[in-house]
Amino acid sequence: MPSLPAIRVKELTKTFRVTRARPRSLAGRVQDVLAPRTEVVRAVDGISLSIERGERVAFIGPNGAGKSTTLKMLSGILHPDAGDATVLGHVPWRNRSALAFEIGTVFGQRSQLWYHLPARDTFALLAHVYEVPPDEHRRRLAALTDAFDLGPFMDTPVRQLSLGQRMRAEIAASLLHAPRILFLDEPTIGLDVSAKAAIRTLLRAQSETDGATLLLTSHDTGDMERVCHRAVIIHQGRVLWDGSIADLRRRHVKSKRITIWSESEHLTLDLPGVRVLAARPYYMEVELEPGTTPVGAVVDAASRQGVLHDLAIEDTPLDEIIRSVYRDAEARSTS
Amino acid sequence: MTALRKYVAFARIAAVQAARGRGELYGRMAFVAVILGVFSALWKAVGEAGMPIAVEMSALVWYLAVTEWILLTPAPAYVDIEADVRRGDVAYQLARPASYLGAAMAQGVGVLVVRAPVLAATCFVCAFAVTGRMPDPRSFVYVVPFGISAMVLIHALYVLTGLAAFWLGDVSPLFWVWQKLLFVLGGLMLPLALYPEWMQWLAHGTPFPSLLAGPGSFVLGVGSADAWTLASRLACWAVVITFGALVVFRRAVRNLQLHGG
Repeated sequence: MPSLPAIRVKELTKTFRVTRARPRSLAGRVQDVLAPRTEVVRAVDGISLSIERGERVAFIGPNGAGKSTTLKMLSGILHPDAGDATVLGHVPWRNRSALAFEIGTVFGQRSQLWYHLPARDTFALLAHVYEVPPDEHRRRLAALTDAFDLGPFMDTPVRQLSLGQRMRAEIAASLLHAPRILFLDEPTIGLDVSAKAAIRTLLRAQSETDGATLLLTSHDTGDMERVCHRAVIIHQGRVLWDGSIADLRRRHVKSKRITIWSESEHLTLDLPGVRVLAARPYYMEVELEPGTTPVGAVVDAASRQGVLHDLAIEDTPLDEIIRSVYRDAEARSTS
Repeated sequence: MTALRKYVAFARIAAVQAARGRGELYGRMAFVAVILGVFSALWKAVGEAGMPIAVEMSALVWYLAVTEWILLTPAPAYVDIEADVRRGDVAYQLARPASYLGAAMAQGVGVLVVRAPVLAATCFVCAFAVTGRMPDPRSFVYVVPFGISAMVLIHALYVLTGLAAFWLGDVSPLFWVWQKLLFVLGGLMLPLALYPEWMQWLAHGTPFPSLLAGPGSFVLGVGSADAWTLASRLACWAVVITFGALVVFRRAVRNLQLHGG
């Protein structure tokens, strides 16, 4: 019998009624008190997707796209207006307590660690909360302490930890009960470059070790590229893209960017499909439309005009690709 | 049993935090010392001025020591709950396999375990130092259990006040009003027996006298017969407050699940 997907979502919809203030005048304020003007906002608009066990999926979207609302529905905190969802076979909003034992949550801007106490105390509390047997807790804690290098600050009050250390402890806390699914909402927000890299490596390694399914929301494309292999892009509550990150690049990379540092003071690259983005003495940045002039021909043309000191050939950055997906969707909706 | 262990763990971690947060405890101890010093001087001045007071001065100081002990021991849980609601943290805490309400109550009990003995010792030493006398030692047999029960109920009222943040956002005005009612109708400074009759009648319609004046009155010579009355009143208010907290919490969660937060 084929195993059920870890997460299955069908036509999930959630609307909120929000209050809209009237113009700032005395009459407007009185009206706002007596008869507030409200508006229905469709936060999630018929999302459908299926995530297999062990998958690492990036859930991408601009602010207000419906990412956090979807995560809240999948963890049973919010009830949808319409649609179905199962998470590990549970309907989250009906079996929230049972599901809670099987999922972990990391919210980059919130903490589950007791601020004035060392992380060790919170870990001991969570072992009781998730009913982890003492032997299992000791074994798991030792493994996570090792993997996340928590030893040096395990007995330091959380308030004295750096943001990177705190986030490592937060993620370890979420993994203590060996959840089968981990929901991560912007886990690297505010971290420096090296702390981000460490968190990404740890998340990926831990998912590979435990076979846990990851569903990660982030505005940082580095999180998506280094942790996940699949991306679900949502905008205005709808899924715009659901597929592998490699496919996303293949389908949406419309150009390559070539940067040239040359001996020649004024380069001229008048070739089909080549658009100059920036030109300064001894320097030029161009965008090359795929399927027109080959990259080699551009490099040849530049090198004929003088020795090349340096050269960089880049794909369009992922965040630019994602922005173009949003732009396309907006253009479709307005037309 | 596993569920009980879960809430014992919440109580334990809150107790550990309360034990490490010595600054707050020292602050409360200093406050008790100042209050008892000021009021003993006040009662003494009242006595020297020849004003008629139905109760002995030293008994009034011991009464105040008991009511301050009860009032100062519970942590202001409404502050944390309001912050959880305002920041949206409460939604994420609901995703854990533990009752938010149960955890809040257990944490309050954990704080009491640490603070109650320390503040009791402080109140005892300060009251003895300023009066040079002790009430009948048998009164403590009633003061301690009733005082601790009252602290648990005050904590439950703090939790209930905090839950109002789901609708009010800022609960400090609500807290301010009920705290002042607790001071006045609970008989924080003076035993209710010294109040006008109509005010006593009004006070007894609220839980406040059972929380402060009731336990405090044992140092004034109230005996075991009144203990049964107080126990039954505390039990009734415990049922009412627990029921109220459960109803409010369920409504709040329902609201949160349907309308977000």
